[in-house]
Amino acid sequence: MAQILFHIFIFPGILFLLVMSFLIEFIDRKLHARLQNRVGPPWFQPLADFIKLLGKEVVITDEADVTIFRVMPLVALTAAVTAFFYIPLWGTEAIYSFNGDLIVVLYLLTLPTLSFFLGGWYSRSVYSAIGATRALTQLFAYEVPLLLSVLASALLAGTWSLSELTRFYDAHPGWWLFNLVGFVVALIALLGKLEKVPFDIPEAETEIVAGYLTEYSGSLYAFIRLALNVEMIVGSALLAAVFFPWGLSCGPLAGFAFFILKLLVIMALITLLRSALARLRIDQMIQFCWKYVSTLAFAQVIATLIFKGVFVK
Amino acid sequence: MGIGKKIMTWARIKSPWILHFNSGSCNGCDIEIVAALTPRFDVERFGVIIRGTPRHADVLVCSGPVTRQIRDRLKRIYDQMPSPKFVVAVGTCACTGGVFDGCYNVLGGIDSVIPVSAYIPGCPVNPEAIIDGVVKLVGSLEEGKSA
Repeated sequence: MAQILFHIFIFPGILFLLVMSFLIEFIDRKLHARLQNRVGPPWFQPLADFIKLLGKEVVITDEADVTIFRVMPLVALTAAVTAFFYIPLWGTEAIYSFNGDLIVVLYLLTLPTLSFFLGGWYSRSVYSAIGATRALTQLFAYEVPLLLSVLASALLAGTWSLSELTRFYDAHPGWWLFNLVGFVVALIALLGKLEKVPFDIPEAETEIVAGYLTEYSGSLYAFIRLALNVEMIVGSALLAAVFFPWGLSCGPLAGFAFFILKLLVIMALITLLRSALARLRIDQMIQFCWKYVSTLAFAQVIATLIFKGVFVK
Repeated sequence: MGIGKKIMTWARIKSPWILHFNSGSCNGCDIEIVAALTPRFDVERFGVIIRGTPRHADVLVCSGPVTRQIRDRLKRIYDQMPSPKFVVAVGTCACTGGVFDGCYNVLGGIDSVIPVSAYIPGCPVNPEAIIDGVVKLVGSLEEGKSA
């Protein structure tokens, strides 16, 4: 019981993810600033933002549905934190694992988007409604390529469990190189999931104020920011576990160091793309995702099936 | 001050998010405000970010005299911001009404409609002066004055 509580609240649960999310947000903003030739924020900036937002007044409009408006940020945060328990962090074994946890992680990562949609929709602001519908429209574009690219890696390993998948790639070193195309697809889809710059259409601040976040203020907004950061960590960790499953069998400390390294590399890639690209329109985004990214994902799945049928006997 | 209040004041000083509102300016000060947000001045060093919505903002940065048309909108934007909130009047017109004072359609400075915490004179204001004004506003917070 004590161990379960430790897992939930300290490591790798809420406290660890809180510290990690501040760290990740700082690295993201600092790197973004350096790429723009700026100095960037100091290291405590995400912490100061979080504390300040907790101390601000929470404004809820008369028209908003109070229960849904209040609960949805916490639902998003809970779902993102829960997904983290199924990802192998320091060895080939996650804290909790069963056959099919890969699907559960993907499902839990979809929940934040859905809860942001509901929260934005029930705040009854025009900007929130536009942002919320855009978030859902975008969901249908990136979810299929993400699932297909993860499926390709899982097909090669022949399992739906993240821990077993890690063990398989550990026993067959070098095979992860086969999934590099799938990694590119998954990275693009992750940008859509996290609403980072080429795909930040749901919260496009130059067009629709702040999208579904328009009416959120104070501590509720702080929890939404935290949920987005945790989603970013979990998404990057999922990509690291599925596409770079090496270096995890050389002891817990080295394995954990490798995990952090992989996480930082994926984060840096996301920040680089965010700094280099401009926002797409929603129709351009959907066309791009269905025409090219999904095709690439299908190609990866078919290549994996042929490879498996011919060479793995 | 208790330790909790100290931490809260520290957080407020380190992260002033601003909302830019044109209350009838000739656009001169607006250009300077936008210039102050460019990478050359890099206000993110001080934790300043520009937000699109009043719900996320701490500091309302107003430029220009208040016209009769804009009065209700300005009040509404101010009411939409969650407290604690501060107003900075940027430019001579925002401080007193400037050359437009006494016009049939102008009410006067920003403080004729909403309470103002810091006045930054200039026509137009330098970006350096805007950053200095915001820093002074933040400094008055630290001394515990009700800015």
